[in-house]
Amino acid sequence: MMASSDPAVIQTRALSKRYRTVAALTDCTITVPEGRISALIGPNGAGKTTLLRLLAGLARPTGGDIAVLGTAPRPDPAFLAGIGFLAQEIPLYRRMSAADHIRIGAHLNARWDGTSVRQRLEGLGIPLGQAVGTLSGGQRAQLALALTLAKRPRLLLLDEPVAALDPLARRQFLAHLAEAAAGGGLTVLLSSHLLSDLERICDHLVLLAGSRVQLCGDVDALLAEHQILVGPRKDTTAIERDHTLVHAVRTPRQTTLLIRRNGPVIDPAFETADVSLEELVLGYMGQHADGPSPAHLSAIGGDQ
Amino acid sequence: MTWLVWRQHRNQAYIAAAALALFAVVMLITGRQMASQYHSALISCAATHTCSDLATTLNLGSPVLFLLINLTLLVPCLLGVFWGGPLVARELETGTAQFAWTQSISRSRWLAIKVGWAMLAAAAWGGAVSALVTWWSSPVNALQHQNFRAGQFDVQGIVPVSYALFAVALGIAAGAVLRRTVPALATTIGVFVALRVVIASYVRPHYMTAVTKTYRLAFAHPMPSIPGSYWQVSRGIVGPGGQAASSAAHSGVGVSINGTLVTLPPACNSLLSQDPPKIFSCLAAHGYRAFITYQPANRYWAFQGIEAGIFALLAAALVAVSVIVVLRRDA
Repeated sequence: MMASSDPAVIQTRALSKRYRTVAALTDCTITVPEGRISALIGPNGAGKTTLLRLLAGLARPTGGDIAVLGTAPRPDPAFLAGIGFLAQEIPLYRRMSAADHIRIGAHLNARWDGTSVRQRLEGLGIPLGQAVGTLSGGQRAQLALALTLAKRPRLLLLDEPVAALDPLARRQFLAHLAEAAAGGGLTVLLSSHLLSDLERICDHLVLLAGSRVQLCGDVDALLAEHQILVGPRKDTTAIERDHTLVHAVRTPRQTTLLIRRNGPVIDPAFETADVSLEELVLGYMGQHADGPSPAHLSAIGGDQ
Repeated sequence: MTWLVWRQHRNQAYIAAAALALFAVVMLITGRQMASQYHSALISCAATHTCSDLATTLNLGSPVLFLLINLTLLVPCLLGVFWGGPLVARELETGTAQFAWTQSISRSRWLAIKVGWAMLAAAAWGGAVSALVTWWSSPVNALQHQNFRAGQFDVQGIVPVSYALFAVALGIAAGAVLRRTVPALATTIGVFVALRVVIASYVRPHYMTAVTKTYRLAFAHPMPSIPGSYWQVSRGIVGPGGQAASSAAHSGVGVSINGTLVTLPPACNSLLSQDPPKIFSCLAAHGYRAFITYQPANRYWAFQGIEAGIFALLAAALVAVSVIVVLRRDA
């Protein structure tokens, strides 16, 4: 599926999770190679949290297979030592201090780098001795990320880590994350409902909508595979036959198409343009939001 | 992990230790006073040969102290509410379980250590309170011979330890199943109180087959002497051949004697207006006998052991439920 020789850190096949009658995740097949910072993008309720919890072994799938770092997620020390997980609500013990959390980590993990947390917090001016409940949201998120990184995990799973942060805290958080990832050997999957939050740091994308995977791959490869066509209002059946139509906007005067290319486009009536990551994501999300027409349904089926 | 358990619960531990220390001081001071009061009373009654009346003439303790002793009935329930209920529920509710369960520790070990310490603390605390109450009560027990009475049996000996284990296990299981603290606490209180009442009232009297003694009916209705703190289950009068005293064998007059309805044989009817005290000898002559059904005093520790065993088994079952729920369910 991907032109990549890096071994996969995350590999799922037809993964599903149902909560009673609600399908939280359906037929999800993704691969995230080692060393990527992958953005898990999707509207609220798309299944991002469910996917992350399944990958961390906090929830069990109702169908399909998962391999994370080569094994099925399970609650045992060997597996857990390899992953770092940060839940959306940033759960920490509110009455305990950062120093207490560093000690907890030292007690619960065989591999633990408490010094890095101390240094990071001192650098950010976050008090070590103060109850975590009295810290600001940004400080708590920074602390939680530092604690998660102190395990020296090979895979970091972060659920909407910047959703509650103001722009400055968001920037600091992502800078901290990018710095950690630059050290090498770390793969990151982090979710957001806004692409703009993550666009700057991610080089891989998983797009979820309506509990299904819409898109998964390296950002550069995805951008190269897709193209925008702008032309007069005319019949586009020929283009749709040769390529995969993702999204179309038709006004009385012009037609704008987002296509997944199967070879070169040879229709002189259309001007081609490179697609931006945002246009790509909005195209796939918009396709889902519009309610897919039969043609689009087959297009999705072809993708996955 | 033990450090985390201590860090999470040390404030509760300090409060519990302080409360226990305060309780111990009150028990030790008043217990010593009461013991010396009892011993001097024994010496003076021996001199005047009035020791048989001591139970009615000597007043040990004070209403406030007995209220305090009765309040220790609540100790297991409080432990279940403050230590058991939040143990798992609060972590699920606040999401900190997700933090703990993504450190490099298995969920089963996390749970085992938390549950282990909570149960150990409950047993130690419940045991300490029970030991103090048992020691404090020894003069009262010796004087009143009512060790089996509800309110004494339930706060002395080994049963309070078992109640504490059960209450904490109940709190943990309720929290694991309901995943929310407040409903878990309400469930703990409700189930604990209901089960304690049902077992004490309907099950406990039947742990062992009660002993029945029959004896001759007489006007003063003297009871045969039964040694020690026996537990009276029932007492009354039986008709000839063991049939019920109120049986319709005679269509005579019904009278209530010491709480038993007795249908008088026709021969005794006339005594009712002429010489009522003679009814007893008349009934005795017609084969009526008085009886008492009781659990002998020497079964006290057997009863303590059986009841403690029942609650310990229930506690073990609830711990098993908690383990299954925590390991099987998604976080």
